[in-house]
Amino acid sequence: MIYFLPNERREKWVARLAGEFNLFLPVQIEGKIHWQKYDKGNFAIDQLALSEIRAAEPIKAFLYRPREVVATFPKPIDPAQEMSALLFGVKGCDLRGLDVHRKMFLEGEFRDPFYTRRLENTILVAADCPMPRESCFCNLVGLNPFVNRGVDLSITTFDDGWVIEAVSDRGEKLANSAKDLFVPAGEHHRARREEQRQKALGILEAQNSKKWNPELSRAIAEKTSDRSFWKKAGEDCVECFGCLMTCPTCFCFLLYDQAKAKTGADVNQFERTKVWDACYMAMYARVGGGANPRPEFVQRFINRFHCKFMHFMNQHGFYACSGCGRCFTACMGKIDIRNILGQL
Amino acid sequence: MAAEVRHSLSEKTNPYKPVLVRVERVTVENDSGDLKSFDLSFINEEERFSFVPGQFAFLSVPGVGEAPFGIASAPEERLMKFTVKRVGSVTTALHELEEGAVIGVRGPCGNHYPFDKMRGKDVVIVSGGFSFTTLRATIAHLLTPANRPAYGKITAVYGARSPGELLYKEELRTWEKGSDIDLVLCVDRACGFDWPATEGLVPNILKQTAPDSANAIALVCGPPIMIYYTHPVLKELGFKPEQIFLSLENRMKCGIGKCGHCNIGPKYVCKDGPVFSYQELQGLPEEY
Repeated sequence: MIYFLPNERREKWVARLAGEFNLFLPVQIEGKIHWQKYDKGNFAIDQLALSEIRAAEPIKAFLYRPREVVATFPKPIDPAQEMSALLFGVKGCDLRGLDVHRKMFLEGEFRDPFYTRRLENTILVAADCPMPRESCFCNLVGLNPFVNRGVDLSITTFDDGWVIEAVSDRGEKLANSAKDLFVPAGEHHRARREEQRQKALGILEAQNSKKWNPELSRAIAEKTSDRSFWKKAGEDCVECFGCLMTCPTCFCFLLYDQAKAKTGADVNQFERTKVWDACYMAMYARVGGGANPRPEFVQRFINRFHCKFMHFMNQHGFYACSGCGRCFTACMGKIDIRNILGQL
Repeated sequence: MAAEVRHSLSEKTNPYKPVLVRVERVTVENDSGDLKSFDLSFINEEERFSFVPGQFAFLSVPGVGEAPFGIASAPEERLMKFTVKRVGSVTTALHELEEGAVIGVRGPCGNHYPFDKMRGKDVVIVSGGFSFTTLRATIAHLLTPANRPAYGKITAVYGARSPGELLYKEELRTWEKGSDIDLVLCVDRACGFDWPATEGLVPNILKQTAPDSANAIALVCGPPIMIYYTHPVLKELGFKPEQIFLSLENRMKCGIGKCGHCNIGPKYVCKDGPVFSYQELQGLPEEY
């Protein structure tokens, strides 16, 4: 079903959602978009940056925490059930991260129970990107600046209100509970939405007019042995790992153990913590005995391109890249993967 | 074979959480004292897991950390054995353990040696140094009276730097005397000892032993230098890439194909390995 929410009712709906869920939304702070927890006393609907592009932080941080305790022993402690989270204003590019993490954490022989539980308890409300920025290239990785799958509700913003589509059963229930605020939308709303979406796509097509090699995976494979190409491409890297830490699709992690407390009752209780890792780190694949399969930076640089654009495509049929542009926005050396991939 | 494996790591349990085991026996394996074997029993019998030789598991010392090790015992043995070389913080903490200590184990992880392919064939085992662990498990498994008739001739070439560095010496002596396995032991330097009798490097001794490749599978595990010089010998003996299986050791954290650390190209050593055929490895980058 598709609905319309007039401007003057938006604040009421958002406040109502915040009463039911842990509500996170994108707001503009000093010219940048950041996720923020809804704070009733300090929130005005005008702060909501729903029509902007994705936030600085990838939504993976909500589902796959930068740091979390995944086991305690010898006494097992069941992590307390968290209140359901609602991410309000998820973008088309954010969903690629979810797709990659679903493949990594939910498929195969073992499921990650932490990711499973968080995903089940997270409601996703998407919002179109009517005005893509220069850093956006989601169209090159097979995505759109709008969402009509994989979320619960999808919002398209207009001057006079929001067109809202219920995409899942859960979304339909949410819409039903807002029947007093929503107005049923008709064909002309769909037409308006379509027009705006095509306009956004047009902006993306124009700024990313040079298409990547349709056989990109093979092109990367063939270019692998040309070390001078990759050395030049990565020569400005200072190995800060900002690109990987802000990447919505990166999934690597480290596990480490420590005592729960240095003194007292918990001194013999241990915690195993999972923390994001980065494959650019020199020590990333080094084994206890000292051997390192990728000692040179160029090997680790190539490995990143292989992982995202070759292996993931070959195994799962899509790139492990969302086209969000966070990697080169964060990069101190201004290494733009669009330029590298465009040469292949 | 794989269907027999019952995992302690399942969706219902937490795959990051170890189960508790007790150290029943600690054995110093070599003269330098940096190799110790730990025989472990499960504290809760219902947490016991089965495995197939070639698989590995993580041992964790509470508060220090965990590291992956090949399982050195056969599934038929009551206690689960791990042999650990002291190299870093976790292995040092393991070496300091005494009998009775309680530690964690998480596994079994990875694939195993190709017993389905080995059935009815000769088995050639080539190993050097302390990586003999999962091959000790393999030999013990193959030599179990119930299993032995299913395989042809079993030949093993196992070498170490010096006699004192050979693992599981008592067992080696027993196997050497028996007729179920043709065990050739060698050392780089005999250092005046009369056992084992052969002095020489593993690839050379393999060449002299010259096992028949016609209907055989070769299992290779050892230091990179040994593997490097063993390949040409196996090739010369007529082994094809699909007849040679190697066990790899890359850095691993999760052991369930999620954390990314052990990748070799698109493969994860913890999930797709650690056992790979030489044929499979030929299509992968040499990052191992």
